[in-house]
Amino acid sequence: MEEPFDCIIVGGGIAGLSAAMTLARGGARFLLIERGEFCGAKNVSGGVLWGTDLEKLVPGYADDPDAGFERFVNHRRLTFLDADSAFSVDFKSARFNDKPYGGVTVLRAVFDAWLAGKVQEAIDESPYADESFLATDILVEEVLMEDGRAVGIRAGDETFHAHSVLLAEGVNNLLTRQVGLEKPFVDADYVAVGVKEVLRLDADRLADRFQLTGRSGLTNEFVGAGTDGVEGGGFLYTNRDSLSVGLVIGMKDLREKGGTPYDLLNHFKAHPAVADMIHGAETVEYSAHVVSTGDIRGLPSELYAGGLLIAGEAAHLLMNAGKAIQGMDYAMRSGMLAAETVLEARKTGDFSKAMMSNYRKALDASYVLQDMHSFQDAVHLLHAGPMFKDVPNVLCDFGRQFFAVRSEPTPKAMSMMHAAVKRHASYWDLVKLGIKAARSL
Amino acid sequence: MKEQPTSIAERLGLVAYRNQGRSAARAHIEVDTDICNSGCPHKCTTYVCPAKCYTLDEVGDVHFQFEDCIECGTCLYACDQGAVTWRYPHPEEGRGVNWALG
Repeated sequence: MEEPFDCIIVGGGIAGLSAAMTLARGGARFLLIERGEFCGAKNVSGGVLWGTDLEKLVPGYADDPDAGFERFVNHRRLTFLDADSAFSVDFKSARFNDKPYGGVTVLRAVFDAWLAGKVQEAIDESPYADESFLATDILVEEVLMEDGRAVGIRAGDETFHAHSVLLAEGVNNLLTRQVGLEKPFVDADYVAVGVKEVLRLDADRLADRFQLTGRSGLTNEFVGAGTDGVEGGGFLYTNRDSLSVGLVIGMKDLREKGGTPYDLLNHFKAHPAVADMIHGAETVEYSAHVVSTGDIRGLPSELYAGGLLIAGEAAHLLMNAGKAIQGMDYAMRSGMLAAETVLEARKTGDFSKAMMSNYRKALDASYVLQDMHSFQDAVHLLHAGPMFKDVPNVLCDFGRQFFAVRSEPTPKAMSMMHAAVKRHASYWDLVKLGIKAARSL
Repeated sequence: MKEQPTSIAERLGLVAYRNQGRSAARAHIEVDTDICNSGCPHKCTTYVCPAKCYTLDEVGDVHFQFEDCIECGTCLYACDQGAVTWRYPHPEEGRGVNWALG
């Protein structure tokens, strides 16, 4: 038998590639297996990689005109929609132009392929330049287990052996289920379906329309009528010469209310405020993918076993507490931490379950699980009815009164708010919601 | 002004699939439609699937085709009746997507 790899990474998305980068730099010998034709070929995201870890992973990337991200985020907007109006909270800061950037928009087939190129450069400079590999177009069908411990993988008739296996297979985590750390059937409560179109718009027009300079970008999230009464929200992100426009829709509510993702997407795109932002842009790709909701109860029973680690969305690591959908940055950090555990294990040759549990400890101590734990109330609140119905309706009603100037006596803002609340919700419910929101955020 | 697609057929026309030239590809998802058609209370795959791979015929029976599947995983999670056996497509013999942008 050939000398086993230190690690076999299943999946060349952000979690897998971040782990690979860390292993290459740490001088380990590994095999990353991606089932797509290239890294990124099977990946879909809404489109923002939040946080600053990318600077750690690829130092100086922000100064590279060929770096695989689209735009950095210095302008953020949260918009509440009713049928015909849009009430926004808008924030733009020149301080967000400073590096490291706190968020970049990405198109995964572009970004992941670029990141894989950077990992290959790191492999070329590592002690195992000829013995570590990024292998594409191979489907891993089985994790090989011996005495409750992962020892390798099987792809078709071929087997590959390793001291450890890192599952970074994404939210459709078949291997995580196969090794028994995830139930065979995961409840729809814990996932949503994302649908998206990428719409091409000439870079100059895009910059003019969205007031962008250089590589700066806008992210806009939408709550309310965009999803036509189904739990969820919309997004519009600026790329270099395109827009990512889509919805994230609660799977369970979609099933119960009988909605169809692409019809809801039409509904969202036809909202007057959204239509004005995308007019004249040409749809060049339609995509969809399941996404975790960030409910911590959706996590696998454990994120490690003997010789086995699970990172990224395969572990349902994601958070959407209303401020940002953080999935890719969680994938990045968890991939890096998993790889660090492998590097630690490699020093002593101990890949036991006890050693692998250091990954869980590191993840618990990191912002990933700390934030997931502390913002669970916000996650639940965001998925509650009033948040995507009453609140947007009240705000838009208030906005229509407050921002309208008529040649007649004007009521005070407070009485406008009273009237808006009376028409769409109960004070008591909103007060309760306000208290909950204040506590949860 | 250029047209934006509204139908699912137009949208799927923008998706690049693997092994499009193959006359017969190996199915990666198997659906036991007997389960769907004998008492499933919602038949939800026929409306939640973003690629419309599940359809209802005139007598209300569910039919499935994998050729348009974009591997999103919606049916893997949405079906709570145990009718869907979900695998990833085989790189050489299966279908499946090849995103240009993602």
